Amino acid sequence: MKFSMKTAPLRASVAALAMGFGIGAAAAAEKADVMHWWTSGGEAAAVHVFAEDYDKAGGNWFNDAVAGGDAARAAAINRIVGGKPPTASQFNTGKQFDDLVNNHLLRNLDADAKAGGWEGAVPPLFLKAVERHGHIYAIPVNIHGQNWLWYNTGVLAKAGVPVPKTFDDVLADMPKLKAAGVVPLAASTQSWQEAILFNSVLASVGGRKMYVDIWSGKGDKDISGPVFAKVADTFKKLKAYTDPGANNRNWNDATAMVIQGKAAFQFMGDWAKGEFANAHQTAGKEFGCTILGASYVVGGDVFVFPKNKDPAQTKAQDLLVKVMMSKGTQLRFAAKKGSIPIRQDVDVKSLDICAQHGHELMANPANQTPSVDMVATPSVVGAETDVINKFWNDPKMSTADFVKKFAAAIHG
Amino acid sequence: MMKIWLRRNFSALMALSPALLIVLVVYVGCTIWSVRISLTDSHILPSDHYVGLHNYVRLLNTDRWNTSVGNLVFFGFMFIIASLVTGTLMAILMDQRIKGEALFRTIYLYPLAMSFIVTGLIWEWILQPTLGIQKMMRNFGFAHFHFDWINHSSTVLYTVALAAVWQGSGLVMAIMLAGLRGVDDEIWKAARIEGISPVRTYISIVLPMLGGAIATVTVLLALTVVRLFDLIIAMTGGGPGDSSEVPAKFIYDYLFDHQDIGLATAASTLMLGFVLVFIGPWQIWQWRRDVRGAGR
Amino acid sequence: MSRARKHLAARVAIYTCLIAMALFVLGPLYVMVITSLKHMSEISSGNILALPHIPTIAPWLVSAHKLSAGFLNSVKILIPSVIISIAVGAIAGYALQFWRLPGASLLVLILLIGAFIPYAVFIYPLVRILAFFGLFGTLTGIVIVHTTFGLPVMTILFKNFYSSLPVELFKAARVDGAGFWRIFASIVFPMSTPIVIVAVILQVTGIWNDFLLGLVFAGRDNMPMTVELNNIVTTTTGTRFYNQDMAATILTAAVPLLVYLVSGRWFVRGITAGAVKG
Repeated sequence: MKFSMKTAPLRASVAALAMGFGIGAAAAAEKADVMHWWTSGGEAAAVHVFAEDYDKAGGNWFNDAVAGGDAARAAAINRIVGGKPPTASQFNTGKQFDDLVNNHLLRNLDADAKAGGWEGAVPPLFLKAVERHGHIYAIPVNIHGQNWLWYNTGVLAKAGVPVPKTFDDVLADMPKLKAAGVVPLAASTQSWQEAILFNSVLASVGGRKMYVDIWSGKGDKDISGPVFAKVADTFKKLKAYTDPGANNRNWNDATAMVIQGKAAFQFMGDWAKGEFANAHQTAGKEFGCTILGASYVVGGDVFVFPKNKDPAQTKAQDLLVKVMMSKGTQLRFAAKKGSIPIRQDVDVKSLDICAQHGHELMANPANQTPSVDMVATPSVVGAETDVINKFWNDPKMSTADFVKKFAAAIHG
Repeated sequence: MMKIWLRRNFSALMALSPALLIVLVVYVGCTIWSVRISLTDSHILPSDHYVGLHNYVRLLNTDRWNTSVGNLVFFGFMFIIASLVTGTLMAILMDQRIKGEALFRTIYLYPLAMSFIVTGLIWEWILQPTLGIQKMMRNFGFAHFHFDWINHSSTVLYTVALAAVWQGSGLVMAIMLAGLRGVDDEIWKAARIEGISPVRTYISIVLPMLGGAIATVTVLLALTVVRLFDLIIAMTGGGPGDSSEVPAKFIYDYLFDHQDIGLATAASTLMLGFVLVFIGPWQIWQWRRDVRGAGR
Repeated sequence: MSRARKHLAARVAIYTCLIAMALFVLGPLYVMVITSLKHMSEISSGNILALPHIPTIAPWLVSAHKLSAGFLNSVKILIPSVIISIAVGAIAGYALQFWRLPGASLLVLILLIGAFIPYAVFIYPLVRILAFFGLFGTLTGIVIVHTTFGLPVMTILFKNFYSSLPVELFKAARVDGAGFWRIFASIVFPMSTPIVIVAVILQVTGIWNDFLLGLVFAGRDNMPMTVELNNIVTTTTGTRFYNQDMAATILTAAVPLLVYLVSGRWFVRGITAGAVKG
């Protein structure tokens, strides 16, 4: 390497300048590698709120997005095990990170929780969901309602069908909608969507207590009882009101059917709002949202913070926790994500009416129904999802047969 | 004696050491590891708590696994035979001194380069009665045209095979064409003098000479069959029900989504067993042939 | 006269079949291309086989922009992985074929069986092994991983190819006193060009399209392009943009397609030698 005499001083000063910046930046902001699976439009916009606020607070966000929860979690777990952990990593609210806690790979966040005043602000259900052996190991960042019924107001009006309040109403309305020439229920045979539908029925027809007992493995008697049989029958009856195109249909394509008035109903989580928003539709006008009964099935996402030998990383983690759990950030994040804020002590007037309704439901602990991920292990959820999938798609499978298989799979 | 042998083969052993290392550490070591895990109650991280054959019992009682294995065999035969026939037909046609061979070759090969996650979605659209071929035909005025194989348990595997053949036949074409080019011109001349028609020459003389090429292709296709899962995810999601589930998808789901590596490793151990049953005898036959060949 | 006519009929039949099959193969590409040029509203209205009403190239621009970040990383992973995996496979194939070492056929058997194991099962132990040597999350690490998973097919490919070479050449060289490397460098390798091209094509396709291994092993600063591709095309509860999915897939396939085009000629001739002899 040879510098010409003329440029050498210039280069030296540029280098010095760059170094100065480098040192400044390093002191102020250690890179925070945040792994998550929020890659689609609205999700990316939501995660950008975290990134923006984190950088504003003096952090240095590194967006480590990997689409698909299973791939993202697999990558995170392997990086933790391989000794190159991310600063923070996303999981679903629930038992997915149990093994990491038990192997002492995650940081204890008790001090952060105390400093942030989570107790009293975060619904107990969600605080308990991040607690293991009396300590906090993750931060819950949002609440997603999973048993929403979305409907096209125009289609319902035209068929002379009022907004249903129970599943019996739904079943009674279906023939009328079919006669009106629309697909009554926009559904899909993707097993996770079938599970969402099934759990909506279970929460509504069976009620919160039965739902929780069954999924936490304490409801063997309930499973063999008449109410569960009614749940199964109701679920299966809905199948007749779906269309053949439901096979492996992506959820957003089902939502598009409701948007375009080809279908009347869809059961889906509140992330579906993003699709309506993209089509320039407003809740309460072109489409509506309701929960059948009072059991509000909620889940969400958490971030865990792997233990780290580097104190700068630990500092970055503390700042991340603080920013993600702050009121302003929570509210702006929820607005973009379509979820509701994890903190009850925020003013949700700025959110849409579905989110407001959800926030209202959450205020009463008797409504708070945990998503299956929060009460059952991933392997039980997986096995039961397979059973539900089989039942929905196999016309020859009887309710009795389904009940037997469901009971067998619930204990892993 | 030993010393001389070692000195003469030292370089060969050195050269082979990376491969040897990989085989011992990964293919033997990790396989033993995964068999061990299959005997424990591991979820996402390995555990030391042994549960005997519990996972195997659980696996064999899982409907989805049993269906997956059956599907694999059915799909595998269909796919391998259809790809062989289509690819060979392509190769024979391309062997007729045609114009634009390079163009046809590239067209037949391009599906290989495309991600199945997206091409699978395209196939789903094409085969979905409300979107694809059926809709198009009805728009053309055939009001009763009916094609919804993808939505029925009994026919869905044919549609998966169709998409897989679409991707795989290009490779078969390339290898078979190469084989055809290697056939001696004298054989063709002789056949022509004998008055044997070209079609019969292909079927009864030329193709039997390509046994080696067919064997290679079959192994590559079998590899595709056993590893297949991304096409299934994108195209059918394993459905309707579990009628198009396959073992590789089962293993992937239980490994990453269901966090049940005990069951996943049990499944992969069983798969290993199947492969051994299929490949073992063939390899032993080859090995014995080699030994006889060496003794000659 | 009748013979000429018969010949003409045969030619017409041949070209008809070729074109029909080409159309079958191109069908999905047609759907992909037109979908990539449509607005989302048009796609969700369901006319997937129809030409776009109002074409747009916006999805292409968005996808190209998103993918550009990982392109260089993919190249950085691809080149050493392809070269090293082929070198290891070629040398192993040569050693196994010509230097009758004890246990050679057992090694080949293990490799062949190994090729059939879903590699996802091996990820965890490999992470531990590489982490032990400090290679996890590095470029070296991912190259080792690709070499490992490419080894079975590469070794078998080369071994089969070498089995079709005249063994007399090798024996003559031995008599002349040439050693292992000398024979490989001056006799065997120069004859391997066609099979090397085949290996290049197989490995470029496989490694370029790999997603999971790159994601886990390459480390945060070396994420391959397929991670971005996956971010575009995969989502569970997020919104999908099918037009971007299509554009991104075609763009990602560009590198292997280029390799097919450039080396098509050798591809065909190369496979001959490896495959013809069983």
